[in-house]
Amino acid sequence: MNASQMQALLPVLILSLTAVVLMIQASIKRDQKLAWIISALGFLCTLWATGYAREFAQPVTILLQVDSWSLFFSALVVFAALVTLVLSRKSFSPEGERKEEYYLLLVLSVLGAVVLIQSSHMVSLLLGMELMGVALYAMIAFPEKGLLPLEAAIKYLVLSACASAILLFGFALLYAATGQLSYVGIGQQAATAYLSNPLLVMAGTAMVISGLAFKLSVVPFHMWTPDVYQGAPTPVTGFLATVSKGAVFVALTRFYMDAQLYQYQPLITALSIIAVASMLIGNLLALRQEDIKRLLAYSSIAHFGYLLVVLITLTGTGMASDAVTFYLAAYILTSLAAFAVIARVAGEDQHKTQIAAFEGLFWRDKIQATALTVAMLSFAGIPLTAGFMAKFYVVSLAIQGSYWFLLSALVIGSAIAIYYYLRIIFSMSKTSVIDSVGDIGVQDYSANLTALLLTALILMLGSWPQPFITFAGGL
Amino acid sequence: MLEITLFYIAATVALVATILAMTRANAIHALIYLIVSLLAVAVIFYLIGAPFAAALEIVIYAGAIMVLFVFVIMMLNLGEKGDAREKQWLSPAVWAGPALLAVVLFAELLYVISSANGPVSTGVVSAKQVGLSLFGPYVLAVEIASMLLLAGLVGSFHLGRRYLDRNTPEEEKSQRGAE
Repeated sequence: MNASQMQALLPVLILSLTAVVLMIQASIKRDQKLAWIISALGFLCTLWATGYAREFAQPVTILLQVDSWSLFFSALVVFAALVTLVLSRKSFSPEGERKEEYYLLLVLSVLGAVVLIQSSHMVSLLLGMELMGVALYAMIAFPEKGLLPLEAAIKYLVLSACASAILLFGFALLYAATGQLSYVGIGQQAATAYLSNPLLVMAGTAMVISGLAFKLSVVPFHMWTPDVYQGAPTPVTGFLATVSKGAVFVALTRFYMDAQLYQYQPLITALSIIAVASMLIGNLLALRQEDIKRLLAYSSIAHFGYLLVVLITLTGTGMASDAVTFYLAAYILTSLAAFAVIARVAGEDQHKTQIAAFEGLFWRDKIQATALTVAMLSFAGIPLTAGFMAKFYVVSLAIQGSYWFLLSALVIGSAIAIYYYLRIIFSMSKTSVIDSVGDIGVQDYSANLTALLLTALILMLGSWPQPFITFAGGL
Repeated sequence: MLEITLFYIAATVALVATILAMTRANAIHALIYLIVSLLAVAVIFYLIGAPFAAALEIVIYAGAIMVLFVFVIMMLNLGEKGDAREKQWLSPAVWAGPALLAVVLFAELLYVISSANGPVSTGVVSAKQVGLSLFGPYVLAVEIASMLLLAGLVGSFHLGRRYLDRNTPEEEKSQRGAE
């Protein structure tokens, strides 16, 4: 590796360095404030490095592909991790509990996500996904009290291991069919291999996509989502919903494009079925939820259904990759805003995450209530928010490619979704409970600042998207 | 033709041992079948021309990791009850099945070693080649794997510590008595 490749790899190197420094710091003197500062500095340096590395965009060995697209998503993921770090500072930290390991695991998990985003080879795909996942299991089970986090972690661990096994089997079948492990190599060989042995290629691809779809929790691989969302500490849930799912979707998109999977009709049919099922089932099941974390779990299933529609319309060129960029950016910002408010208002209390506990929030904490309202409107796709522009992209792509079946499922799903998103807003604006529920406590400036920043970003993406669209088009 | 037959024998042994490992109620029985299954996979590696991978499979999986498991389980079985249970483990009904499967693998291995030209049809992957590709094109994978191990280590340390920090019931009793 030469100097230029090292510079392209700078974000990964800085994250690894942060992890090593955290280890050394914990061995010299345990201090969770210092660990927090080191992690924050590490993430800020990584954010800077993702900008710096753009000038050195190139493939680094056969494993990683550093280009402006992957660097943008790396920056987005690191930003989400920074927000998670701010949210985690106060939450689940009873007296005497040591949290240095939590910060170390967070840094390692982000490292895994960045590797996953930049991967161009089966080996780095698997290693990145496992690194992200292994750190996440421990983060989910991190609080020492309560059984729900442990239950969530075990569910996630066992099912993830299953998904990884299926993914590996898929790799093996694709390797048997094509003799290649890099995405591009598979793309070159798969078409000829498909003619001689279609079953092998299709089974391999289907297994790889199933393994990734598990992490994205699209129907029918969605069973774990509500329990894990509910059981995990709220900042970790936010991290799981944004970083983990976003990174896996970027990896899936890259694999789909580089391996030229869009030329296989059976695969498109399968993906369409998954997308329609996710949009309908995710939204229908969200209707009856009383816990806001479970509700967001089902809503995320539906949102990845919408994203799969974008994936299906991808045919190698044009607007579709912009749509992935825009939709993922909007989804990650909106989810972060929602989970930031939940972490602040409800903390780790299982009763306070009930939707009923949010009644009258407008009179108790205006800033947080406004942020949650904007996040819900953005999820629902109401104009002037980022979610509207994102959905606009999806709909126009579906119309251009005349995918009417997908489009009708999307419209029905979105219509159902408006009900439960608005239900939360109505609940917050109820006046009947103002006297019975007290103030939520002292002002927390870092939480208010985070909520305001995310709200501003969502509104800006939705009402003045032009700079971002130009930027995304240049990626 | 010959390699194919040998491969299918080893693969059958691996499948049977794995299924038995999953269905055993007793942890030790399951582990012994799992070891046999790993040995069968090692034989398959050997048959397809990867003796280095076969050796690693035996040294690391069947050797280090599985023996560690068995040790821990046996260490937890202290006292008279444990003695009785260990005696029960030494009855033929327990070791006959795994031993039979292992004998099949051993016979296969003996046959392969004694036959003159060996079973390999496509060339052998030597340890040097493995090392060259690990520290050549795949060097980043090695580094990322080290971070993966770090994550696993830190995570298991944290999850295990909640039981280490807490005193055992005996200690708590003696502390209360002192007060």
